[in-house]
Amino acid sequence: MKRAIRILSRNPLSALGLGLVVLIVLAALLAPWIAPYPDHNGAVVDFLNNNKPPSARNWMGTDLVGRDIFSRILYAYQTSLVLAVVVLAIATPIGTVVGLIAGYLGGWTETILMRVVDVFLSIPPLVLALAMMGVLKPTLTNAMLAVTAMWWPWYARLVYSIARSEREEGYVLAAEVIGAGTTHIAFREILPNCLPAIITKMTLDMGFVIIIASSLSFLGLGVQPPTPDLGSMVAEGANYLPDSWWLTVFPGLAILIAVFGFNLLGDGLRDVLGVDR
Amino acid sequence: MNRPVLAAALAMSTALATPAFSETVLRLDEVPVGELDPAKATDYADNILMFNVYDTLVLPNQGGPGHQPHLASGWSVDDTGTVYTFTLRDDVKFESGNPMTAADVVFSLDRMRAIGKGFSYLFDNVETIKAVGDDTVEFTLKAPAAPFLSSLMLLPIVDKALVMDNLGEGDGEMGDWGEAFLSADSAGTGAYTVTSHNPQDETVMAKNPGYFLGVPDGAPDVARLRYGLEPATVRTLIAQGEHDISSQWIPPEVARAIAGNGGHLLSESGTGGFYMKMNTQKAPLDDVNCRRALASAFDYATALQIVAVTDDVSLGRPSTGAIPVGMFGANSADAPLTRDMEAAKAFLAECPYDPAEWNLEISWIAEVPVEERFALMMQANFAELGISSEIVKVPWALFTELVTDPEKTPHISQLFTNALSGDIDTLLYPMYHSSVAGTWQSPEYLNDPEVDRLLDAGRAATDDAERQEIYTRLNARLMELAPTIYVYDRNSVFAASPRVSVPAMSDPAQAFGLDGIGFSFRLMDVDG
Amino acid sequence: MRSIVRLLAHRLLVAAVVLVGVSMLIFGIARVIPGDPARIALGPRASAEQVADLRAQMHLDEPIVVQYGHFVADLLRGDLGTSLYTNRPVTTDIAQFLPATLELVIVAGIMMIGIGLPLGMLAARYRGRFADHLIRLVSLLGVSAPSFVWAVILVLLFAYFLPLFPIAGRISDSYTVPTVTGFLLVDTLLAGNIRAFGNAAWHIVLPAFALALSGIGQAARLTRANMVETYDKPYIEMAQAYGFFPARIARIYAFKPSLIPSLTIIGLDFAAMLGSAFLVEAVFAWPGLSRYGVAVILRKDLNAIMGTVLIIALTFVIVNIIVDLLIAFLNPRIRHSTRSSA
Repeated sequence: MKRAIRILSRNPLSALGLGLVVLIVLAALLAPWIAPYPDHNGAVVDFLNNNKPPSARNWMGTDLVGRDIFSRILYAYQTSLVLAVVVLAIATPIGTVVGLIAGYLGGWTETILMRVVDVFLSIPPLVLALAMMGVLKPTLTNAMLAVTAMWWPWYARLVYSIARSEREEGYVLAAEVIGAGTTHIAFREILPNCLPAIITKMTLDMGFVIIIASSLSFLGLGVQPPTPDLGSMVAEGANYLPDSWWLTVFPGLAILIAVFGFNLLGDGLRDVLGVDR
Repeated sequence: MNRPVLAAALAMSTALATPAFSETVLRLDEVPVGELDPAKATDYADNILMFNVYDTLVLPNQGGPGHQPHLASGWSVDDTGTVYTFTLRDDVKFESGNPMTAADVVFSLDRMRAIGKGFSYLFDNVETIKAVGDDTVEFTLKAPAAPFLSSLMLLPIVDKALVMDNLGEGDGEMGDWGEAFLSADSAGTGAYTVTSHNPQDETVMAKNPGYFLGVPDGAPDVARLRYGLEPATVRTLIAQGEHDISSQWIPPEVARAIAGNGGHLLSESGTGGFYMKMNTQKAPLDDVNCRRALASAFDYATALQIVAVTDDVSLGRPSTGAIPVGMFGANSADAPLTRDMEAAKAFLAECPYDPAEWNLEISWIAEVPVEERFALMMQANFAELGISSEIVKVPWALFTELVTDPEKTPHISQLFTNALSGDIDTLLYPMYHSSVAGTWQSPEYLNDPEVDRLLDAGRAATDDAERQEIYTRLNARLMELAPTIYVYDRNSVFAASPRVSVPAMSDPAQAFGLDGIGFSFRLMDVDG
Repeated sequence: MRSIVRLLAHRLLVAAVVLVGVSMLIFGIARVIPGDPARIALGPRASAEQVADLRAQMHLDEPIVVQYGHFVADLLRGDLGTSLYTNRPVTTDIAQFLPATLELVIVAGIMMIGIGLPLGMLAARYRGRFADHLIRLVSLLGVSAPSFVWAVILVLLFAYFLPLFPIAGRISDSYTVPTVTGFLLVDTLLAGNIRAFGNAAWHIVLPAFALALSGIGQAARLTRANMVETYDKPYIEMAQAYGFFPARIARIYAFKPSLIPSLTIIGLDFAAMLGSAFLVEAVFAWPGLSRYGVAVILRKDLNAIMGTVLIIALTFVIVNIIVDLLIAFLNPRIRHSTRSSA
């Protein structure tokens, strides 16, 4: 912990990352209290004040039905963060188990599992998620499902490559000699050595999941209105460029800032945890 | 970037942006897909293609009611009102060089009916059609019908000989009736011929030098109909002189921005409206009181405010009922529909479903961004009654498919509809007759014997006073049943660059009163 | 050389296995779609008989394994079926739209390598100094936004406010270029039309850059990391001790070894770009495969969805084989052992 603080203080960029992440998480959690117009996350319209540029009343302007864009961005952060956390909470364990089994057991299990992983990885992530969303109804739950389905293979591959190199290490061989079971070796001996890499990747992936999820809703295949979502806000506003620039620019920057924060933090963690990839 | 580099880049960009034109080009856009086969035309883009590439026996008069001969030189109706005889012009040639004859007219109708798509149902009432010599065609109707003559404006004449040479595989001796060929190529007598066609991307058309009426020099040499441009793109392309006429689907703000940037607005005064169509087969909207609660809670005044483009141009005029002002059976323009929350609550009290348990599906068409605002407005309007709803964005192509199944049809669908041939029958019949439920025009799935009876009677009647009375009763019946929220009477607005003038869409004395004919490129004037 | 052939054979075999897997995956996804594909294809006015006929024709009544068999058999004949959306064979559609997308992705790929690698080298050489921090910051920013956000920002800045670039399309209307390859940058040159070439190149700059930005960041970060690692290797220290010029050290000794891992990632990024092209094409009205892909997905047009995804997967697999071969040429050690899938 001390080491972490030392590294953070030595590396201003990582500190900035941590700061941004904390800020965004707080903004999302406290949205109902800090949003100037907390009811604007739902079915509210105010056509007397629609499509107004930024002002003292609405810091980021109002959208086409008169809702406060700043308030909606705060709520959209809730959507994004919940989605990212749920996706990673499901994808990581699945990928980890597959990777561990393939990496430690080797042989046919390895070949079959890793070919399956290869199949998933040879379709661009967004395309796979799009194809799945094409089949499913566009809801938050289904978006999570589609993103999860394309995400676990990346963890499988990460854990697999570590597990494969670890399985020849002395401590694993020692454990095998004293007759430890396969499950024990995989989860108690090898897994802990994968954790730093997994945690770093999860931090970086928070950002990437946000990117993919907002891309889905940008194309109209993600979260549906009136639920605030950064991707759909950009998509709607794009119709009104360049006159009503605030409709797109602020939600776009909101995505950029959130993902940037997680990336900086992930970078810092990589150094702290000594992960080299 | 330092100054000289910037200057050089600017110089380069202008040099590249303004290549020398040797011919005048007209560029416009619509929603994909562009269907070139006239027998399968249904959407606005299809109409634009059809009216430029093909001709019809008659055309609407400009600036007033009635019809004028076009490919026909004249016509007569017998005493029974069921036999129509048309004499054809003898100076019309197809782009292939083949002369246009009575056989082509017969073939065109046979083909349309065999394929059974597009506007073919307009001709269900035709018993027989036969060619009498080369220059006379005789239609025999099953029963007298007032709208028949106007429906002929949607019967484009195709080149029989050319199509017969290009039949594709299919069942029977006619194969595919030339569907594959006509989906990719033109075979008409029109003022323009297709040079390239990509249904998703662009159709390019060029002036037909042999057009039987001649094409004025001022008309564009080449017309490019592009599909699927974003409103923001259109707005900037017009400002940069690289696009000429927008689609009517751009949001009012964008039309205003184009007009404010030196452009001008064109309009096509509608014989139709903008509708919120309620699925009468799905709970809770299968109950009339539940529907009337929604229709009363709808905020008509705000809806008109949303679609105001400038102080004097708007996409809509106040709605007074089920029939647009100016058509048979319309209510007086002095009594527009208004929001009435007291009435809404009273209707809701009579509605057998508990509002707390509703979850209405409100759809909007992805290609028409302004509809999202209506969806959000309705969501807020209905929320005041304690009704919750969800909003679904549906691309046009998917929508036309969803409506084929009452279960999948959303509770509320937003649609712009026009009387196809300008006659009230072609507005109401496709929307409400129980025999044609489940098309994009009829997601209400209305099934009411009284409505059916009035529709049939209105179609058969040939006397204006009689029709007026029938449609007045139909109007009242529809308001009572409330299958639809009649948002406003429609006025289609297109934003255009200053280099084009389109009298048929800017001068009321030259307006056709029929969707899409205003886009006849031969009647436009384009600066070089 | 023989080892290269063996490597290629092995790679092709793996690629074949992967493609079979992809076809199963896509087929699986497509068959989950609710609704009757035959009814969808024929539309509302078709009779029950017509639907039944088409169902039989599409083998929809047979067991799923048999259906898959038909699917593969058609696939091998190069028949991807007909698109319900455009009413044309899917292969025709793809042949028409794929070149525009590939052109965009290839130009973006060139930008990624041409800008990303030098940035990474610079950062590594000036490690810990201002230039390094700046490059790190910029490259991280590049990775931190979806390409549609970059596309919107670039369009707003360089097409709307500062009208340096066109906002949409591949080429101005006034140029007619006969289609030979479908790649406008190639076709214009084949036609000997330099002005048209300039116009097409001018159109591709913004979309390609928007698409490349995250790849540029990725490539720069990776190159820096790998070069920093090799800089710490004894042979570099030795070269420095011998007083070799820093630029020469950077180029010959540090760059080449560090290129290898970068190349692997570049292969992966290429795949990501094929996906992100969906987003960029939407903003720039680029008439490519991705726009078609989104349209058919929204339309639930099965044949077209399967065809599009398969073609993208195939492109990706081919790129990876090329990358593997490049690596094998660059690094003699790898020629003799097969690369792990990582």
